[in-house]
Amino acid sequence: MRLPARNIWDTRLQCVCAVVSARGEDGVELFLSGNFAQATLDPARIVINPNRLYPIEGAIRREGRFAINVIPASCPKEARALYAVRRRQPHKERVLGFRCEEGPGAVPFVPDSLRTLFCEVESAHDTGDHTIIVARVVEARVNAARAGELPLLYRDLTGSTRLGRALRAALTRARVIDFLRSALWRLRPPLPPDLARNTYLDGGQTDEEIRSILRHGVTDTGRTISPGHPPAAPKHRVGLCVVGTGWGLEHLRFARLASSNVDLFACGRNEERTARIARSVGAKGYFVSLERAVADPRVQALSLALPHYRHRDAVETVVAHGKHALVEKPIATTLADADALIAAARRAGVILMVAEDMHFRPAVREAVRAIERGWIGEPLYLLAHIAAVTRPSGWKGDVAQAGGGTWMDNGVHYVRALRLLMGEPGRVFATSAMQVNTKVQGEDSLQVLFDSDFGWQAHMFLSWAAERGPLPDIVVHGEKGILHLFPRTPYFDFYPNAPTPISAFLSLVRPYWLQEKLRRPRQQRRRMRLREDDLTGYVYQMREFLSAVSEARPPVISPEAARRDLEIVLNGYQALESQQWTLVPVASPHVRRLSTEIAPRVRGELR
Amino acid sequence: MVGLIAVRTPSAANVMTVSFVSEVAHHPTTLWVSIDQGTYTHELLRDVGQFSLAMLHDGQAEVAWACGTVSGRERDKCSSLGLEPRTDFLFLPTALTNTACRTRATVDLGTHTLFIADLISGEVNSHLQGRRNLLLSDL
Repeated sequence: MRLPARNIWDTRLQCVCAVVSARGEDGVELFLSGNFAQATLDPARIVINPNRLYPIEGAIRREGRFAINVIPASCPKEARALYAVRRRQPHKERVLGFRCEEGPGAVPFVPDSLRTLFCEVESAHDTGDHTIIVARVVEARVNAARAGELPLLYRDLTGSTRLGRALRAALTRARVIDFLRSALWRLRPPLPPDLARNTYLDGGQTDEEIRSILRHGVTDTGRTISPGHPPAAPKHRVGLCVVGTGWGLEHLRFARLASSNVDLFACGRNEERTARIARSVGAKGYFVSLERAVADPRVQALSLALPHYRHRDAVETVVAHGKHALVEKPIATTLADADALIAAARRAGVILMVAEDMHFRPAVREAVRAIERGWIGEPLYLLAHIAAVTRPSGWKGDVAQAGGGTWMDNGVHYVRALRLLMGEPGRVFATSAMQVNTKVQGEDSLQVLFDSDFGWQAHMFLSWAAERGPLPDIVVHGEKGILHLFPRTPYFDFYPNAPTPISAFLSLVRPYWLQEKLRRPRQQRRRMRLREDDLTGYVYQMREFLSAVSEARPPVISPEAARRDLEIVLNGYQALESQQWTLVPVASPHVRRLSTEIAPRVRGELR
Repeated sequence: MVGLIAVRTPSAANVMTVSFVSEVAHHPTTLWVSIDQGTYTHELLRDVGQFSLAMLHDGQAEVAWACGTVSGRERDKCSSLGLEPRTDFLFLPTALTNTACRTRATVDLGTHTLFIADLISGEVNSHLQGRRNLLLSDL
């Protein structure tokens, strides 16, 4: 059957696949191309057409050099991964595990490719949403280890297996596909054969659209921290004393689960309770004062599960005795206290780590990986729903001692999740409904909005006055799908925007009432299993601390990261009080770069 | 990948094997083809400003050879191919795809000219879609 070509991809212009590599502002830039070809013989010239929305285009224009690495037919998985990776993801080679080396002119290249052409730009031509780059080939390297292997073709990227492709080819030859297509078109007429318009609608951009998209940066460098991986058990025996007998009991339990290579001690003011707790976890002993605990030579490290207002004094006491400290979140209730205890630990040359389970929560780690690999495209919105009816008493209900209400107590966890999943926020706004629990001084519920120069926003709802129910506690919406994260579950859910086969099939069912009856949200769900021995991150964070102490190395996350969490929470409180969008100070030079270029206009619009 | 460029003027027609061809942009929807300035195709294309591109499949090496080893100035290469007219364009019915293109801009590369052209319309041979493109290495 002769059919009209409905878009540019129907014309089979895309053919041999290659990784285009260049040196970018933030490191190596990679791009999957099925569109490059030789343009002249002598001198040998190549023409490529990088998409203007991708960082590789600017990198090639800026550096004037790049490499074309032809992908072998045996590597479709790697090519698909590069095709799918998040467009604005920095360091794509690290995310995908590609080995890159430096070639002539410091041009990065992929040595495992079939062959590599090192090119120098002769001219660049503005030709719409892609730029035509004419370049001279300065060196060609053939990979002898892959001699005789064919290149990967663009049509083999479509995800089908070799068997699937053979089956499809046989069905095509037998005209079965034509028959099915005709039947489908009776149900759902195809697009009109307007090749240019369909191509534009599927994947083209006008200059105005490109300007709008690039307003938020061609690369998202807004993430300054990355999640912790499951740490290894401590190599040497560690003497750990947990201070505090409330949440401290949980710290003892985490330490017991984290490693058998630890001698536990408990410390509390109530001797009877402390002794009972020590016995219940098989501790080597107990103390009734912090001073005695830090003075004991069997104790190398202390885990401080104390009220927020006691963090600074307790950490200063611990580090003054040359002992390592793990302190509960928030690091402190003021930035001055946070700075003081970080400085004290640095002066003493000991480890200071802030207990933040979110940093080690497996679902968050895997969601970050999924975002980097492009499952949901560009992340757009994060929703956090943190609610459980709680009636805090004692210091937790006292603003002077707790530093705030639910936002200080729980918000700090989700600020960390926000920074891991989305990046550093630029502005924050907070507001609250009526106070239900008037026995606590701090807010018992509130909602907080975040906005970023990098083009995403977030909404958090936190409450001690309402329940979350069966909702996920974190939802990340992106241009290509949604991630749902639930606390303490051995999975997270991914809902791609592209219909799954069952959804696609059901969309054809008529009449519509029957289709509605048959459709279920879970038909779009891909449940991603987490095979971890700790689903919360509590045990991993403790194991990381014990390993760091045992190996005398810094932990994977610095206390400055916890200070930053606190800073953002305090900015939230400013916004709650002023009822104005409040600027969050920039977190790093990378973030500052975009903020100074783009933020003033955006901020002006918001205020 | 290997294809055929077919150029038709009011008084002449010619086909030529090309491999210096690829996509340019999605908006405007364009491709480029690089043609040796000494060829008959270049001469016709410069005059008429439009052409069709037929993408060959892996069973069409002979067609590529036949149209790539002799000049249209010396022999009529179109007559034996069974080309079908589509308004001002010539389509090869046995190709994977045929695309009608109109030149939008040119870039002089010394020995060659880069023709950047809008994709006007195209045809797909659905029963050949299981086949892969003809590659230079197949010739």
